[in-house]
Amino acid sequence: MLTCDEYLTPRTLDEAFAAMATHRGRYRVVAGATDTLPWARQGRAGDVNIPVLIDVSKIPEMNERGANDRRVRLGAAMPFQRFLDDANLGRAMPCMPRCAVWFADDQIRAQATIGGNIINASPAADGTPCLIAHDASVELAVARGGKISRRKVALDKFILGPSKTALEDGELLIAIECDALPGYGGSFEKVGHRRSLVISLVCLAVLVKLDAAGKKFEDVRLAIAGIGPVPQRLTQVEKFLRGTPIDAERLAQAADMPVELVASRTRQDYRRDVVRGFMMRGLINAARRAGADAQALTGELEAAYA
Amino acid sequence: MPDLQFQATVNGRKVARSAKPHQRLLDFLRDDLQLTGNKEGCGAGECGTCSVFVDGVLMKSCLMPVAKAQGAQIETIEALARTGELSVLQKAFYKAGASQCGYCIPGMVMAATAAIRANPFAGREEIKERLGGNICRCTGYQKIFDAVEMARDVQNGKLPASALSEIEAEQGDFIGRNVRRIDAPSKVSGALKYAGDMTMPHMLHVQVLRSPHAHARIVSIDTSAAEKLEGVEGVISSADVPGEDGFGVFVNDQPIMARGKVRYVGEAIAAVAAEDALTAMRAVEKIKVVYEQLPAIFDPDDAMHDGVPVLHDYAPDNVTKHIPIRVGDVEKGFAESDLVLEETYATQAIEHAYLEPEAGLAYVDPDGVVTVVSPSQNITHHRHMLARIIAKPIAKVRFIMSPVGGGFGGKEDMIYQGMLALLAMKTRRPVRLVFTREESIISTAKRHPSRTTLRMGLMRDGRIRALEMKMISDGGAYGLSTEGVMRKAAILAAGPYVIPNVKIDTIGVYTNNTPSGAFRSFGALQTEFATESMLDVAAERLGLDPFEIRRVNAMRDGATTHTKQKLGSVSLMRALDAAEKASAWEKGAPNSRGGNRNDLNRDDVRPPVSLGARFETADKQEAAE
Ligand SMILES: Cc1cc2nc3c(=O)[nH]c(=O)nc-3n(C[C@H](O)[C@H](O)[C@H](O)COP(=O)(O)OP(=O)(O)OC[C@H]3O[C@@H](n4cnc5c(N)ncnc54)[C@H](O)[C@@H]3O)c2cc1C
Ligand code: FES
Ligand code: FES
Repeated sequence: MLTCDEYLTPRTLDEAFAAMATHRGRYRVVAGATDTLPWARQGRAGDVNIPVLIDVSKIPEMNERGANDRRVRLGAAMPFQRFLDDANLGRAMPCMPRCAVWFADDQIRAQATIGGNIINASPAADGTPCLIAHDASVELAVARGGKISRRKVALDKFILGPSKTALEDGELLIAIECDALPGYGGSFEKVGHRRSLVISLVCLAVLVKLDAAGKKFEDVRLAIAGIGPVPQRLTQVEKFLRGTPIDAERLAQAADMPVELVASRTRQDYRRDVVRGFMMRGLINAARRAGADAQALTGELEAAYA
Repeated sequence: MPDLQFQATVNGRKVARSAKPHQRLLDFLRDDLQLTGNKEGCGAGECGTCSVFVDGVLMKSCLMPVAKAQGAQIETIEALARTGELSVLQKAFYKAGASQCGYCIPGMVMAATAAIRANPFAGREEIKERLGGNICRCTGYQKIFDAVEMARDVQNGKLPASALSEIEAEQGDFIGRNVRRIDAPSKVSGALKYAGDMTMPHMLHVQVLRSPHAHARIVSIDTSAAEKLEGVEGVISSADVPGEDGFGVFVNDQPIMARGKVRYVGEAIAAVAAEDALTAMRAVEKIKVVYEQLPAIFDPDDAMHDGVPVLHDYAPDNVTKHIPIRVGDVEKGFAESDLVLEETYATQAIEHAYLEPEAGLAYVDPDGVVTVVSPSQNITHHRHMLARIIAKPIAKVRFIMSPVGGGFGGKEDMIYQGMLALLAMKTRRPVRLVFTREESIISTAKRHPSRTTLRMGLMRDGRIRALEMKMISDGGAYGLSTEGVMRKAAILAAGPYVIPNVKIDTIGVYTNNTPSGAFRSFGALQTEFATESMLDVAAERLGLDPFEIRRVNAMRDGATTHTKQKLGSVSLMRALDAAEKASAWEKGAPNSRGGNRNDLNRDDVRPPVSLGARFETADKQEAAE
């Protein structure tokens, strides 16, 4: 059970930093609290007393979101549900709505934040692979001498390992910025013990842009999580497919490439099988949604990996 | 510690109260406002019994610090039938028979309400996905989905409103008809009080100290620091038991709280009653126990060797119960057989995971009657045992069965009621204990894990000539229902099949694992898993259809079972026909058609692990527009 003596809900960044300064060493930040509350239970951290909880989810800047044709900016306290509600975001980040339906359930998704998901840094976090595929960076802020200073770090450099990030003491994650990829087809493949409320054993984010004829990969972006300590971008496979026609054999070769990356602590054989299947299914699904030509993406191929 | 000044609108009414800063919205609603319709099934976001609307959005109130709901519009299950009339969805749940124990139902109704609000035309797949955050352990979900579809159609005018109304009782003719559950309205509305929802004036809250060791001698228990804590009204351990300590379903081998030694991780050692649960928890942390660790035994096969630790003095071989059955001569049967198969089968411990964690309330009434209210599946037996344990005449002990939020056998054991009785007697105040989900899992009975060796001899046409089975079961630290489970396992081991030669041994063994106990099917699952699996293996080896091999061996009307029970009628043939039809079984031996069936892309078959029905609905709508 989590207990605290004070629960603070600052309304501005200044208020938040002031609270953090006052309670230095005695506070913990929460946003949606969906990782923090279950963590403080028997079998995990047990009964935990944190003198001061600072809830950053009501700070306006951390709830902003915006997307144009080039860039996307997401406040760190934005809940995952927005990827389903906001059609504009869905267009700019075509695999995010697919990721969001797999995220927890319809209820937790309305509370769980994208920033919390990143900072929690679970090797199986669902949000991170999509963001990495979008070349995301995080914007961090710290208050020193009454002045707020900010820095930016690429997301794949920011996540260091399970539950480990480059967030420094006194720092807050303010926002995530990434490429907008309108016109891409997106897919998100995930497997766990059940469909809802499940931690990914493997999850894969796929973004695909095709040429005007719908026959050739102009761009491919792939990122995978659950197979090792941190999510990874599959740049080799991306290169292998970029500029090539959609072709069953080449897809199969591509699907084999990341299999050797499986370095999870458990169930490696199973994960290898899943990775191969997900690569096929993810690429096919994304290509179809990107408007693939019916002859290039044969019905047979689709049916086999639907 | 400054309290929060909390303001919100709850079910249409303004609420302004102080709240503890660490409270969750669920605690505030249930404890402070007594809105107990929504439940706490897990406290960790996994089950959905706590689902409420916050500003119109469904949320899990166990994951929400109350401060997050500051100023919000909150609706609990109680909001839906505020006028006294059930909502369309609630009526549909009633009509469809979508509630059993009912513990999940308030949350389920809320999730269904949210699903239909989000998409009034949601198809069944989308409904399933949108209800994915809510677990039901009783209904198997089909009736719940039926209810949601029915409500959706009534709302959209596809079905008349009368579709939801009561049907007249059909001239007292109930057999073969869908009869409404008379308790359903209380469940769909959240009005029904389970033990954890009940309160009494002046009530204390109980927390339990549990063993961190699997096997240890208790050298000393010091409760003095706990007793000194402000707000603590009573602390008990086995020293407080006035009568003859010991309960069980067949052997009374389990003390109310560990006596002299602990035998499994999670065993109760002491309990505290205090003004609030948090104080009781702090007091439990202050109880000092000195243990002397003992070697522990975790494998039932090892437990039967000589020279290993003994759990209970009365059973020096660690055997709780051995049930042997002998019919005919198996060796002769194997000699006559065309094919003799031998395999080992194992099944694991299984948690019942009823959605209602154990809870109970006890008080001593004005006449001195010690009264325990709990979802016990066995109150009469509990009453007799408790009378002996607390040394009272039976007339001074009363058990009241509260609604059981799922039991499946797991609530047959008197695992906590004794502590409640003792604390009520000691403090002279009503006391209530509500388990957390973790506590429920760690301390209560599981399905017996089993290891079975099975030999089966068959003729070429599939007839079984002989069956020899030995099942070793891990009964865990205490006897509970092990004896009965071993008996049932043995009686049903050879299945509903005519077999001339049978030799069966089922053996329940003590170990330092969590005790095993009753779980629906009561032993039959373990042995029949072996027998039925073996029949499939045999079908493969003999090139027979798996339904046929069962028909060949099936007992018919008038058969005598292996334990000499005469069966007037046997419905096995009908059951096989129905199963064959319902499963769309393609005739032939199990291995006659390769690894895959090719009907996965049929409209009514969903490919494995996919989600996203809502996108398809959206795509279809877009295409239609
Ligand atoms: C039942 C259940 C199902 C779940 N399913 C999934 C799932 O399918 N996929 C998935 O990926 N996750 C899942 N989760 C995990 C969790 O919901 C997510 O990781 C969520 O995104 C965490 O965000 P939060 O804001 O709720 O976390 P919080 O608990 O508020 O925060 C998590 C951590 O991040 C820190 N933090 C939060 N915001 C900031 C900030 N702005 N600056 C600095 N530090 C910050 C906190 O201090 C804390 O250490 C599930 C959780 C539950 C309980
Ligand atoms: S989800 Fe809240 S109690 Fe289970
Ligand atoms: S009716 Fe759903 S858990 Fe019992």
